[in-house]
Amino acid sequence: MLNLHRQLGPNPTPCRQARREFLWETGAGFTGLALVDLLSRDGFFNQLKADEKEKIQGLLAPKQPHFKPRATRCVFFFMNGGPSQVDTFDPKPALEKYHDKKYEGPVKVGSNGRPIGYLMKSPFPFTQHGQSGLPISSLYPHLAGHADDLCVIRSMYTDTAAHASGCIQMNTGKVGIGSPSLGSWVNYGLGTINQDLPGYVVMIDPRGGPIGSASNWSSGYIPAAYQGTHFRAGESPLLNLEDPPGVTRKGQRRSLDLLKQLNQQHQVTHSGNSELEARIESYELAFRMQSEARDVVDLARESKQTHRRYGLDDPRTEDFGRKCLITKRLLERGVRFIQLYSGGGHIEDTWDGHTNCITNHELHAGETDQPMAALMQDMKDQGLWDETLFVWGGEFGRTPTSEGVGKPGRDHNWHGFSMWLAGGGVKGGQAIGATDELGFDGVERKVHVSDLHATILHLMGLDHEHLSYFYQGLDQRLTGPAESHVVQEALA
Amino acid sequence: MFHSFSPCSLFSLALLLATAGVQAEQPMADLAAPDASVSEEDRQHWAYLPVRRPPVPAVKKKSWIRNEIDAFVLHKLEKRGWKPATPATPQALARRMYLDLVGLPPTLTEQQEILDGSSPADFDELVNRLLDRQGYGERWGRHWLDLVRFAETNGYERDALKPHVWRYRDYVIRSFNEDKPYDRFILEQLAGDELKDDSSETRIATGFYRLGPWDDEPADFAEDRFDQLDDMLNATAQTFLGITLACARCHDHKFEAYTQHDYYKMIAIFNPLSRPQQGRGDRDSAAGSVEQLERITKRDMAMAGQEKIFLDISREATTAFLGKIKAMEVESDLPVKTIEALGIERDKRSTDQHQQIRGQLSKILATLAPWLDDEQQAQCQAALSEMERLKKETPDLPRGYFYVELSPKAPETHLLVRGKASAPGPVVGPGTPTVLTPSQPDFLAPSERTTQRRLTLARWIASTQNPLTARVIVNRVWQHHFGAGIVRSPSDFGVMGSAPTHEQLLDWLADWFVNEGQWSLKKLHRLIMASNSYRMSTTWNKKYAAEDPENNLLWRKPYRRLEVEAIRDSMLAISGKLDRTMYGPSMYPFVPPEILEGHADKTSIWPEFNEAKANRRTIYAYVKRSMIVPFLEVMDLCDTTRPAPKRLVTSVAPQALTMFNGDFANRQAVYFAERLQQEAGPALPNQIQLAYRLAVCREPTRRESTLMQEFLAHEQARQKDENEGLDNEQAHHRALVQMCRVILNLNEVAYAD
Repeated sequence: MLNLHRQLGPNPTPCRQARREFLWETGAGFTGLALVDLLSRDGFFNQLKADEKEKIQGLLAPKQPHFKPRATRCVFFFMNGGPSQVDTFDPKPALEKYHDKKYEGPVKVGSNGRPIGYLMKSPFPFTQHGQSGLPISSLYPHLAGHADDLCVIRSMYTDTAAHASGCIQMNTGKVGIGSPSLGSWVNYGLGTINQDLPGYVVMIDPRGGPIGSASNWSSGYIPAAYQGTHFRAGESPLLNLEDPPGVTRKGQRRSLDLLKQLNQQHQVTHSGNSELEARIESYELAFRMQSEARDVVDLARESKQTHRRYGLDDPRTEDFGRKCLITKRLLERGVRFIQLYSGGGHIEDTWDGHTNCITNHELHAGETDQPMAALMQDMKDQGLWDETLFVWGGEFGRTPTSEGVGKPGRDHNWHGFSMWLAGGGVKGGQAIGATDELGFDGVERKVHVSDLHATILHLMGLDHEHLSYFYQGLDQRLTGPAESHVVQEALA
Repeated sequence: MFHSFSPCSLFSLALLLATAGVQAEQPMADLAAPDASVSEEDRQHWAYLPVRRPPVPAVKKKSWIRNEIDAFVLHKLEKRGWKPATPATPQALARRMYLDLVGLPPTLTEQQEILDGSSPADFDELVNRLLDRQGYGERWGRHWLDLVRFAETNGYERDALKPHVWRYRDYVIRSFNEDKPYDRFILEQLAGDELKDDSSETRIATGFYRLGPWDDEPADFAEDRFDQLDDMLNATAQTFLGITLACARCHDHKFEAYTQHDYYKMIAIFNPLSRPQQGRGDRDSAAGSVEQLERITKRDMAMAGQEKIFLDISREATTAFLGKIKAMEVESDLPVKTIEALGIERDKRSTDQHQQIRGQLSKILATLAPWLDDEQQAQCQAALSEMERLKKETPDLPRGYFYVELSPKAPETHLLVRGKASAPGPVVGPGTPTVLTPSQPDFLAPSERTTQRRLTLARWIASTQNPLTARVIVNRVWQHHFGAGIVRSPSDFGVMGSAPTHEQLLDWLADWFVNEGQWSLKKLHRLIMASNSYRMSTTWNKKYAAEDPENNLLWRKPYRRLEVEAIRDSMLAISGKLDRTMYGPSMYPFVPPEILEGHADKTSIWPEFNEAKANRRTIYAYVKRSMIVPFLEVMDLCDTTRPAPKRLVTSVAPQALTMFNGDFANRQAVYFAERLQQEAGPALPNQIQLAYRLAVCREPTRRESTLMQEFLAHEQARQKDENEGLDNEQAHHRALVQMCRVILNLNEVAYAD
């Protein structure tokens, strides 16, 4: 179903005569996507009597990947605001030497025309960890326990210095709003494993969402069924999950039964409209989702010890710990793509340490280190490690310079920064690429956001060149029309 | 009135500087003969050929033909030996017509009218009546807003509002209701400021160009400027011409005969436009004809003169007053800011400080009275009166949101190598895509004010000779009547687009539309809706479906889900709460607090819910790009960042959660139940009957009525069991609310027959 052109045979161009493609493209209104999707799974009309549930799942039904996946689900730890590479995963001893010296390199201005100030050493000492000896700063004592599993890419770069466009590019591959996000592409390509839960879950920081809000988990021009669902840590994690006031669970069931009966009767006189069936089934699915989603956030089912491991007993780690524990329960239930935001709202409530990068990073790393490590450990213990891909990073990194002598803030740096991958299919215990002596610019094995996206898709069994959606005259792809490359060195 | 404008000249300078150091990555030879790659064969694509009226085919079953449309449709069916579906029942047809044209189901009285007269001619009359309704513009205006990527904010970090952009929405609704000829509608939106008979309205129309998203903190200003131009080009090319020209920004289109040169010729047309802004802030402008704008300028100068007289005469008094204030010897009810402004020397006051004074002149006069002699007072009073008279004589113009052209001299437009603003290639003049036209239009000479490039483009598009314009709009109208266009890719008429299912019919309609129809959309609706093709039932035919599953031959009327606006508006109409107030600033539908939490500015992003105001039609709902109202978003509202030619139809669980558990649906269920009790009295069968009439415009079947009565009886008993102390009446009401919730969720309510 993906990239139908290419499956149609040697002539890759015209969509005009290709019936299946044309349906996919024109699904709106005339035949409807549920039907389109049904058809595109080689069902066509003669198979309308196929098993009802499978038929109705349509858009979200599990699909064949392009090749054998290394991981079936993905957790993206999004460090909103931009964490500093020289304070986390990219040690720069030269900064000790040049501390407080004026920077005189090629980069002249920071974000928003800020002047580039004085070089600033990291106050967080780096130590080598694990068998691999991967250097990690003192900000991450727990994560350091997984050093041999981390594949740090030190030479990431993007095209923008602004938070909004940076977040949007990290999530959708494009600097402008309106394109589908990584999680949407993954669900479009692979479908959902558990129909009773959304396939793409986003959990944001209690201090606020990322700049650009829902554009970051939008499905853009592909069906809304693939957009990220904002999942909350409270008792009611999804919008409209609760039965309306005054309606009991039994009452809800009675009303739904009546609705189903009436709709089925209506369908008898309107045969040949499979959308109607899809709509009937969506109410049943919603009913199941009501209990399944509540079950996910019922953390009382986890032991006291587990709560402690995730840091739920410590106010500092409690919130992110709860999100990681919910993530564990979502992963166990087969949710395909989960994105967790650390930092939200503005400036110092995010990783955007302009004023004081030291206290800022102590706060945000401190909130997230233990919960992330606990989640990764649980996946190892449960045998889900190889199934799960972990991604860590922000929309960009930070400058090795301060914003002035005695002002320990760092500005945005999109020229060279660090992200890491871990888990299914990832070769851990290594650092790929390098920034210059000071940690400003990527100089070795530069990796663009789109290369990272290509790599994530690859690990999940999808070819970034073939995962496409025909829209506005083009085969649109996550990685865009330009060439992108899988970071082969990252693969196990 | 004083704007700073986006730095076009600065931008050109940046380009110039960039040119110096850039090595073109593309061989320049390709660019020297830019359009040579467009071949004669390319020009033979059906949609690029001139529209010629084809003969109306002969058919066997002449009795089925109400107009030419039917002949084209029936001809194709008869070739297969097929028959069209039976006519729709009067109730079904009436509901279809109401939902199609005004997006609301017929009221009880209107349903009765249909029962009283349902001959084909009666339905022709019904179409006329519906086209006269204001709701027509609200329904069809929304289809247009989809195409032009309408939203009221810019997106991105601040997602700042587009001031007064709702006037463009109102302009669209009014234009549809007035049946503005489509060629005129094009001219106004593309070149409303360059028309001889320009006005507030035509200026506001050009807001079309400025509706797209905009990053007020771009990473690269030159690149961002091109993103803006690209957005204008894409919206224009897709909306009016149905072509995907924007794909040619970086290189010649891979599959279509659109060259990169074509792309930049079009960019050169929009390049003279600039964005009124002040720093990061987006600014609106006074909307009026050139003459009106001149008059306002004159008036403002005259008023400034009077203001100066006032301030000169009262100068000493002001100093005296300020001295007393400083010494705290007097109190004043003037705003603090005004007093502060008065304390600053006149030529050092900021715009805001001038405003602080200007808005308070009569109060200032009263305050200064103790320090003014009689003559001074009279003179000041005279100045004030004169200002009032001037303002009355020449009232303020409405403000609108549109780009402006500031000079008749166009900035140079360069072809950008690989689409990068940092890599400008040769200079390109204005022009239209080569493949669409045997010879380029003659571009008008610049007027005293503007380059007139857009006016040339607008005339070229709004011409009977343009091969695409009429085909594209006729197809769009067809699409909204039949659920899919004759060309199923309504904004892509290129070789990559879908071939028309009825090519001859499309051409016949396009020709009829510009000639007999005189570009009137209402005439086109009348023609389409008069046809038996439109009036068929949705009856399924297994045999036909096996051979033609997509109903390409139109053997039945497609059954289709309504857009979210029509669903929401219908629910409000059914519950009796629909507020028909038209026009003006948008209303804010309910947004669950959990959604606001997800936002960086969670406290200031959305006004407190005001249900009375929010019960207006959905076209008036505020469209905020970074936070689309969840009810609308989940129900497949279109993408707001790019032209959206059609809505997706998905059926996923979050929709069911919204429609069954959500705040809006449950409120309407309560109102609907109250309405039934008030209007149908206490008898259950009457309540059920009324519910069906209101919601699906028909009587309930006996079985439905029985099911409902059983449900109500059981539900009432269970409500009493589950809630102690509930009396019969309360229990019945609650049961009825549940029934109403079920009815509002029926497939039949969300689908147009």
